[in-house]
Amino acid sequence: MNKKKIYSLWFLLPAVLIFVIFFIIPMVTSLFFSLTVWDLKSFTFCGLDNYKTFFSENSLSISVKNTLIYAVLTSGLKVIIAFFIALFLTSKIKTKDFLRSLVFFPNLVSAVAIGIIFKALMHPSKGLFNTVLAAIGISGPNWLGDTHLALFSVIAVDVWKGVSISTVIFIAGITSIDSSYYEAASIDGATRWQTIRNIVMPLVRSSTNTIITLSLIGGLRCFDLIWAMTKGGPGFATDVLASVVYKQYAAGFFGLSTAGNVIMFAVIAIIAFPLQKFLNSREVYN
Amino acid sequence: MKRKMLSVLLCAAMMGTTLAGATSVLAADDKDSDSKWEYKEATLTFLIDPDTASAGYQAVFDLCEKETGIHIETELRASGGDGDNQVKTRLASGEMTDLCGYNSGAKLNELDPESNFIDISGEEWASRLDDTFASAVSAGSDSAVYGVPLTATNLGCILYNKDLYEQYDLEVPDTWEDFLKNCDTLKEAGETAVIGSLGDSWTIQVPYLGDHYNVLAAEPDFSEKFEAGEAKYATTEAGLKSFQKLADLQPYFNEDYTATTYADACDKLVNGEGAHWFILSQALSSIYELYGDDVNKIGVMGVPGDDADNHGLTVWEPTAIYGNANSDKKDDILRFMEFYTSDEALDAFTEAQKPDGPYCIKGYELPDDAYDGVKEAQEKYFDTGKTNVAMEFQTSVKGTNCEYICSEVATGQSTAEEAAKAYDEDCKKQATQLGLDWK
Repeated sequence: MNKKKIYSLWFLLPAVLIFVIFFIIPMVTSLFFSLTVWDLKSFTFCGLDNYKTFFSENSLSISVKNTLIYAVLTSGLKVIIAFFIALFLTSKIKTKDFLRSLVFFPNLVSAVAIGIIFKALMHPSKGLFNTVLAAIGISGPNWLGDTHLALFSVIAVDVWKGVSISTVIFIAGITSIDSSYYEAASIDGATRWQTIRNIVMPLVRSSTNTIITLSLIGGLRCFDLIWAMTKGGPGFATDVLASVVYKQYAAGFFGLSTAGNVIMFAVIAIIAFPLQKFLNSREVYN
Repeated sequence: MKRKMLSVLLCAAMMGTTLAGATSVLAADDKDSDSKWEYKEATLTFLIDPDTASAGYQAVFDLCEKETGIHIETELRASGGDGDNQVKTRLASGEMTDLCGYNSGAKLNELDPESNFIDISGEEWASRLDDTFASAVSAGSDSAVYGVPLTATNLGCILYNKDLYEQYDLEVPDTWEDFLKNCDTLKEAGETAVIGSLGDSWTIQVPYLGDHYNVLAAEPDFSEKFEAGEAKYATTEAGLKSFQKLADLQPYFNEDYTATTYADACDKLVNGEGAHWFILSQALSSIYELYGDDVNKIGVMGVPGDDADNHGLTVWEPTAIYGNANSDKKDDILRFMEFYTSDEALDAFTEAQKPDGPYCIKGYELPDDAYDGVKEAQEKYFDTGKTNVAMEFQTSVKGTNCEYICSEVATGQSTAEEAAKAYDEDCKKQATQLGLDWK
């Protein structure tokens, strides 16, 4: 009996329908509308003008640069910091469980709430940060108002909030390493650092890859935290792709904002797929 | 036993509600039949931002319910760009409230008023609207009129703290040069000369937008040429100066100007923590709500230009209430609008909240107890004819990134020339969207 015929192809229909209606059709229409001047009711075809505007106008193109800085820095910092926190939390300490939940807390609060709280903490004259700094005689910077610093302030908050997920993934990776590796290493007289370098790091590479991919994509499409903290300001200093798309939409430039979305999709795809491939090729299997 | 208690309670509750219902019916019957308003119960929903002082319109709503039976349910939305987004989304998805509170002037064009709002130009009472206001809530080539004024006019001005002016023996300046001299004196004395409130970035547009009187003084036909795509800010000297003024202010701002909000700035100004604030005169009402008569410590001046004999004021037409054309309560909306523009309603408004500028209803005068600052402006600018409406009421094009471009200048990220150029580009996008043929 031919096994293939037990199930009719019609069983695929619901899934395909949902996929086409909610994913394929919106994608094709957004590609189309990104080439038009559109007011939701009528449209005029304008070729690649929207894309040209997006890259030629400083207020829009700055967002591409900021997005890349944001994504690379947040994902890099999350990997490094989370790795060491995870190492610490998997070592033989007494309050391990308590500390693990402590690290996870920031992730339970919504990004918007965190943004609003940190906006208050980072207020240049009334904020807690600068009040504390002033008490020890340092005049604190204008965290979110200084155009050179603002983006990095937001990045720091994003790392603080997002490092917990990465830590959890690392903890899972580290605890799944077979203890025989450590025993062998200690018999060979390996130092603590040598153990980390030659056993832990290679064997958690699959966790590392997951974290890099997840947090990079998260960074590329980040919106909520930036919007709550700076609204892309001062001026356009902290605008990222998602906030620019939102602003263009609010302005009623629906075609232009759709073009921004297509660019965001392209940037994520161009970075994420090759990265995934590259990282997977380097994975070491347990 | 418990059950019995419960049923007794329920019975009592039922009796109660029936009685309450009966009394409200009786109350309705009691309604004084002399009233000139038709009484019919209805509920309308109204969407507005929270930065507009509510005391005045709420008083009119209350009176409206008493007189006409129309109950207004107010729903708050975000202000600024977020608010624009909400309004546009709700219009597009058919979920707009019956009454929509939104800017008059150029920004109305973004909402496609022809298909979204009720044209009231045919109504008899609509003739009471002041002509300038009527043109600010009209769109397209025909003479359609879409909204009624929510408040009195707004003045784009410099509010200044009179106590500080007295303390440092300063004169109200009539030229920009003198204004900067005053700022220098204040700065040297260790005061904050100008309050910046970039925490609400829309406020930073006022120095540039409020300078429009001076642009027109130099180039009377600038607005028409701009609308036609012939004049640009970057290539017009007077236009460029408006952005330069913004750049001039940067050294005088308070230390935390990037985080100061509109509400913070109200506190700072009235408490003398800053001497000047470029803002719409609606801030007077915000201050009055918090500080009462201390509001009279605040003076009003127009953004000065180069000619001391021609120190004028740029005036904003108020936010308007538009009727949702897709609502099934069109009659109630029109009844409400007629009531809202009546003398009776304006009296109620004035009693609860003093006007921030002259009203846009023909023949309705400023009350005697208006804010000193507003009376000052009436005398100095309105009575001498030295006023002009802001750019956005003369053209249909307003760059949507205006507040961010102005923020860039105010934080020293770009020069006046760069900003003027960026703003011209920004307006071009808007013109393209509106279907204007710009080069």
